[in-house]
Amino acid sequence: MMRRAQPWLGTLVDITIADSLGAAELAACFDDAFAAVAEVQRLMSFHDPQSDVSRINRALPDVAVPVHAHTHAVLRAALDVFEASAGIFDIACAPRLVEAGCLPAPGSDRVRYLPGGSALALDDGFLVTKSRPLWIDLGGIAKGYAVDLAIHALRSRGVRSACVNAGGDLRVLGDHPVSIRDPRSPGEMALQIDLRDAALATSANYFSGRTTDARSVLIDGRNGRACPGDFSVTVQALNCMLADALTKVVAATKDARHTALPRFGASAFII
Amino acid sequence: MKSLHLATLAATAAAGGSAFATQYLTVEQAQRAMFPDATRFADASLQLAPEQMRQVEKLAGLPARSVNWRVFAAYRGDALLGHMVLDDVIGKFELISYAVGVNPDASIKQVEILTYRESHGFEIKSPAWRKQFVGKTAQSGLAVGEGIANISGATLSCTHVTDGVRRIAAIAQVMLKK
Repeated sequence: MMRRAQPWLGTLVDITIADSLGAAELAACFDDAFAAVAEVQRLMSFHDPQSDVSRINRALPDVAVPVHAHTHAVLRAALDVFEASAGIFDIACAPRLVEAGCLPAPGSDRVRYLPGGSALALDDGFLVTKSRPLWIDLGGIAKGYAVDLAIHALRSRGVRSACVNAGGDLRVLGDHPVSIRDPRSPGEMALQIDLRDAALATSANYFSGRTTDARSVLIDGRNGRACPGDFSVTVQALNCMLADALTKVVAATKDARHTALPRFGASAFII
Repeated sequence: MKSLHLATLAATAAAGGSAFATQYLTVEQAQRAMFPDATRFADASLQLAPEQMRQVEKLAGLPARSVNWRVFAAYRGDALLGHMVLDDVIGKFELISYAVGVNPDASIKQVEILTYRESHGFEIKSPAWRKQFVGKTAQSGLAVGEGIANISGATLSCTHVTDGVRRIAAIAQVMLKK
């Protein structure tokens, strides 16, 4: 077994490969998996002015912005969860995070957060068009997608037992136990869960409350308000992108049986 | 499954201590991961003069922090492939040791975490405390297990590592650029 970690997406991405592989094959597996995560950062970082996200944020309304297929897939999923959650999960919450000092303003123009309606249109040619000024942040979903891509990279190399963990958003190949922190005492583990070929994401405020890492800030898209409290939300789903996004829906409603969950084959619990 | 069994043993050993620790790579493993073509590594540790410290601070926008830096040079035969710089950062909860691979032109090649340690205790809650969640997790299709492994939790910021890498990029610019 080998475990490696690199800093990406504002957190540590920790990859475990449990298959017995030769040194060269193992190195190639890690390289491919970390390269997949790096590509998501390059495409979807709020901070990188060259990213698809920054180009969308700077674009004028009604101007179509071409994006990478990966960005398109994440935006599509984000809009699906937006709809299934009646606007709770909203990637257009970025102006609230900028106001809170958690994200830098993407330009000199001020954009005000408006709840309701994503005002973002996607077409099959990988073009994205805004119908009004808005800033998006994929911090609540892209880490999960990066985990999924890394898992796909490992699987396509024949790996059968692995775990990719992007600071709490994780997915496993094969059987792996996973510990969940106690949100009221993050140095202690509340419980362990046995995962098999599944994804698990946990969201809470216990680290973000002490730093300015905007990726952990939970915002309710219906009113733009943060969701304070010393609880944590854990969602299991078939892929990590959905698990990541759905934690925000459960955090805002405190409802571990929210109707959006079964629509994506997901389940949740609150500690 | 042999390797998984070993993983459980390693994790149990870590949990027995006063802090949560993960060992990722040794210095030698990090050297090989960053420069697989290298035939040898030589000590190239640095001492920054006051003027060099000022240049680093200006480039990084951060205090240079230390005069001494542990550096290895990677060679294939006589050709320099690049350097690896070692550093530790202390966050609010964690101590992270990491290595930065630097190309000969002073650009960053790769960052690898060597060890991660949390400063506070790492304990598994008592069975009685955990029992309250058993019903909930069974209902949601999740099985409560007994092993010890990867941790799911709120995103841990790695701002300190990011700042550290920026400082090392500046040191490379001032001291290592060929």
